[in-house]
Amino acid sequence: MRRSRHRAAPAVLVALLFAAGCAQSETKGISGLPPTPWVSRAIPEATGDVKTLPDGKRQAVRYRGWTMEDFGKYRTYAYGDSRPEVAPARVAMPAVAGDPKKGRSLFLARSLGPCTGCHLVQGDDVWPAGNVGPDLSTFGDRRLPDEYVFNMIYDPRHVFPNTTMPPWGTVGVLKPEDIVHMVAFLKTQKGPLWPEKNSERNPETRPKPVGFGDNLDPTNNPAVIRAESAEALWARKGPAGKSCAECHPGGPLQAMKGVATRYPKYVAPYRRVMSIGDFLAVHSPETTGAPMLAQSADNLDMAMLVKMASNGMPVSVDLASPENRAAFERGMANFNKRVGQRNHACADCHASGKGADRFLGGRFLGNAQAGLTRHFPTWRTSQADVWDMRKRMQWCMTPLGMNMLPADAVEYAELELYLTSFDKGKPMSVPGIRH
Amino acid sequence: MAEIGRVRIRIPSSIKQGDVVKVRVLVIHPMEIVQRRDGKPVDKNYHFINRVVVTYVGKEIAQFETTQSISENPFFSFAFKATEAGPLKVTFLDTQGGRYEGTTDIKFS
Repeated sequence: MRRSRHRAAPAVLVALLFAAGCAQSETKGISGLPPTPWVSRAIPEATGDVKTLPDGKRQAVRYRGWTMEDFGKYRTYAYGDSRPEVAPARVAMPAVAGDPKKGRSLFLARSLGPCTGCHLVQGDDVWPAGNVGPDLSTFGDRRLPDEYVFNMIYDPRHVFPNTTMPPWGTVGVLKPEDIVHMVAFLKTQKGPLWPEKNSERNPETRPKPVGFGDNLDPTNNPAVIRAESAEALWARKGPAGKSCAECHPGGPLQAMKGVATRYPKYVAPYRRVMSIGDFLAVHSPETTGAPMLAQSADNLDMAMLVKMASNGMPVSVDLASPENRAAFERGMANFNKRVGQRNHACADCHASGKGADRFLGGRFLGNAQAGLTRHFPTWRTSQADVWDMRKRMQWCMTPLGMNMLPADAVEYAELELYLTSFDKGKPMSVPGIRH
Repeated sequence: MAEIGRVRIRIPSSIKQGDVVKVRVLVIHPMEIVQRRDGKPVDKNYHFINRVVVTYVGKEIAQFETTQSISENPFFSFAFKATEAGPLKVTFLDTQGGRYEGTTDIKFS
């Protein structure tokens, strides 16, 4: 007995040292995750890097035109990020006189939220307001105590633990004095309401977007032409002297028929879940020798071409294998995980009964449970460019105050698998066309 | 880019005789833009589509003169009155002698 205890002690110590000194081994032993952190094969602006400037400031590397602010202090979807959700906090209401005018401009300030992204208030200049949160046009009639309203804005989780509303005060977006002004403004929101001059001002009566016509018509969707341009890439020999066509004969539409319906899926040689784009980023350099970095034009175009070969076929992702099942569960957990400065989860905006199918400002929020993956990569009329689901996810997270993960991150792949599960059995239609 | 000169024509799926029909045509073409060196345009034979001819049942019904100000892979949309069944042909001519044609059959249902 004594002997074995002696022998066991150093073993435990070694295990502890290993766990403490080697943060990257956190993913070890979880079925379906690569044994070491995934090395991103994305273009530089898509890897989610944060660089340190000569003056010591940290600056995020993102796509051109995106904010460069570093949100490193807020938690992310990364599996290695074990920081807990920021705890609900409370402060005493400052004894300053509330100015309704100041409060109104804060309420509408685009740099601070804006509150009108989710809540409607009175005034023709309130445009475009959303309806993710309740209409506050007659909030003053409820005669709620100031202290209560103040705390609702500061951190609503004291009253509603599962609220969609960010804890504006706790995370430091709004200062306590600002909130006092906003409380004063909300008291002025009283009925009776004037008839609406324009029915589109109120998100409840605003027409829902109707789309942009046939997404597979090349005269209508420029992405179709881009996808077809990948046919030349398909036939081109890479530095290794081989082309896609040599190993996959019959042309891309024949050779890749039905392949995309099964992605994202666990790919055993890489020991992780991958989408078509993730797979191309490693498969192309290993076979043809040509790089096909995630988020590069080649990668997007080829992913579209491969997916087009499955158009009309039902999505048939595998959710039964242990690896895919585990990935699906992790994807679902991340869908519901609160992250970033705003302390939002995907579910806040994209789950039925929450923000889904409502307006966030002027934007109509997609419903994850109704399926929103079958058309990616998609042409974005507002960007005049092709975006895949990853860039969409990266963009979703940036205004919420979370540093984006690399475009080919395992976390995104598994989130994509979770989202794709809602499209199972529905026909693919790539490339899509959306706002 | 996809192969140069591929023409695609889209017409409504159902047309009745006498209807005014909206046609959408797309052609794959680089539509080379003017290069400048030291602020002056480079003198060369630029490659762009400069004429589009539309014929309907053998008769020319429209002709467009186009310039480099039109985008790469240009898209044209126009309407015409479908008086009889027959082929609608759109021909693109470029500055380097290229001639690209697309035809669709106008049928009544």
